[in-house]
Amino acid sequence: MTTATLFFLLFLCMFLGMPIAVALGLSSIATILIFSNDSLASIALKLFEALSEHYTLLAIPFFILSSSFLSTGGVAKRIIRFAIDCVGHIRGGLAMASVMACMLFAAVSGSSPATVAAIGTIVIAGMVRAGYPEAFAAGVIANAGTLGILIPPSIVMLVYAAATEVSAARMFMAGFIPGLMMGLILMVAIYIVARIKHLPAQPWQGFGELFRSGFTASGGLMLIVIVLGSIYGGIASPTEAAAVSAVYAFLVSVFGYRDMGPLKEVPWRMQGEPIGRMLSRNTMQIFWALPRCVPDPQIRKTIMDAAKVSIMLLFIIANAMLFAHVLTTERIPHAIAGTIMDWGLTPWMFLIVVNLLLLAAGNFMEPSAILLIMAPILFPIATQLGIDPIHLGIIMVVNMEIGMLTPPVGLNLFVTAGITGNSIGWVIRAATPWLMLLLMFLMIITYVPQVSLFLPEFIDQLKGYN
Amino acid sequence: MRLHILHRLEENIIAFLLVSMTLLVFADVVMRFGFGTGLIWSQELTLYLSAWFVLFGISYGLKVGAHIGVDAVVKLLPSHIQRIASSIAVILCLVYCGLFFYGAWIYLQKMYQLGIGMEDLSVPLWFAHLWSEETLEAWRIDPEDPLIPLWISQSILLIGLSLFSIRLLELLWSVVTGKSTGFRHTDEAEESMHLARELSAEKEQIK
Repeated sequence: MTTATLFFLLFLCMFLGMPIAVALGLSSIATILIFSNDSLASIALKLFEALSEHYTLLAIPFFILSSSFLSTGGVAKRIIRFAIDCVGHIRGGLAMASVMACMLFAAVSGSSPATVAAIGTIVIAGMVRAGYPEAFAAGVIANAGTLGILIPPSIVMLVYAAATEVSAARMFMAGFIPGLMMGLILMVAIYIVARIKHLPAQPWQGFGELFRSGFTASGGLMLIVIVLGSIYGGIASPTEAAAVSAVYAFLVSVFGYRDMGPLKEVPWRMQGEPIGRMLSRNTMQIFWALPRCVPDPQIRKTIMDAAKVSIMLLFIIANAMLFAHVLTTERIPHAIAGTIMDWGLTPWMFLIVVNLLLLAAGNFMEPSAILLIMAPILFPIATQLGIDPIHLGIIMVVNMEIGMLTPPVGLNLFVTAGITGNSIGWVIRAATPWLMLLLMFLMIITYVPQVSLFLPEFIDQLKGYN
Repeated sequence: MRLHILHRLEENIIAFLLVSMTLLVFADVVMRFGFGTGLIWSQELTLYLSAWFVLFGISYGLKVGAHIGVDAVVKLLPSHIQRIASSIAVILCLVYCGLFFYGAWIYLQKMYQLGIGMEDLSVPLWFAHLWSEETLEAWRIDPEDPLIPLWISQSILLIGLSLFSIRLLELLWSVVTGKSTGFRHTDEAEESMHLARELSAEKEQIK
């Protein structure tokens, strides 16, 4: 009865078009008022505590802020140039470089649609000019863009960690190998297609150029090294790493790359300028520019963009915690788990059900919202069935990736349609063969837990926990 | 004109809260690695800043259309029914605000009566000594150990929900009068297209 009321109210509120956060909060509060004795005062306190007692949640606004500074066209161009210098000379190399650029940009920006928009705009046109079929190019990009939520640091993983209270650091370790693996699967598939279809290779630019482009791209890529290095090494918590990465991203984009802010378009070295003068001029300029960052309209817009997304996400999370509170106090997941056990469902059957459920949900909602609703339900069931929570998290994230490629709310489909100027139907057809690869990958992830669990367990061993 | 200033002020407060949170944690990391010390009060302050940031920001989010929701179903309805559905949705949101406001009011009242303070954050002693005993008593600040009282630090519940309700009423009015059909939900796909536009604009310039 309680379960029915809770979910009926939730879906009613959501389908009326209410913000998901309020729908979650209102259905929970109504269920509590009808079926239990908690006072409104204690519920109000819970909402406040959801926001003021979870230090790990702070990683979310910080990572959003850092990606907001580095999700710019300028960073995308530098990463693409570096990727082309790395693998462009192989047959089908331009497409492989696009996959690599998507992986790197996705790690820096943490957002799938932003990756497709930034990388896709440049490389799809480039691939078409180099003689690739447009549908091939668009399909590759739409798929590679989904890696944004799997390759750490990823905001969707932080949301899962918040919903289930598993360690965000371990989620970041678990996503690393699957992310690389999916990228490699895409590249190998591209190589095979390129052999069959005789797609062109780019000329090899030489190590000098590779070094130069690597150096320019390193400003953005160092962020991945700093964040993952400090988290994997156990030096800093995800929250601290995120705060450092936000400050680093600001410094790189404003003073290093100079893509925005008061020093925009001011070159590091003028033509024919001696080194000494260059150094003193830049030092002076940077000091003078620091206070001018405060009123700068572009920096302000970047911060406000990050603030909007953070407020939206954290408000959903706060309400989802109320929702999870209702679920646990009413023992709803336990009841479902009991029923499942009675049916004699084995773990692998349960995982199939999870996959189907998530794929269906992925058609209607955004990844973070699905995770926040489904994770508190699935998590206790999975624990009872002996499935590792980290493994479940990675399965859920890969499902969310697929959800980005299936209509009606496949974000990546819309962005790809937008940048190529083709219809959604055309993009779906272009993405389908690659989507099959992603589905196959989902099977591997689901039934070979070692892919996700190897790295976190290995790091534990290194630190001597086992 | 006056509204413009208020809007600007709202944005400045939100940006300030976000940036100060980030810098506090950053400073804490630098202190720990660089000097081996830390600030005791920084964690509590950061967490409260984040609660203020979110609760203050929800009404701003409604105004700029930052919240996400499912509008696939409502969009299928003809526009006058869509407006009715949206009105119901907005009224339900107001019910949500009302329930929380009521709960928060009772809770904060209790906090005021009990005079409980925060754990580590306090008003500077010299500042507390500027005021008379009666004033401090009325504010529930202990003159010996002037911790910030919880009824102040958690009052953002009331402030944030009030602001949210005002914006909801505004939205309800515009739905009833037919100026809008419902919530403006954010569209992440549309959001990221600005990157694509920026890059293609650059390409045009080069040509």
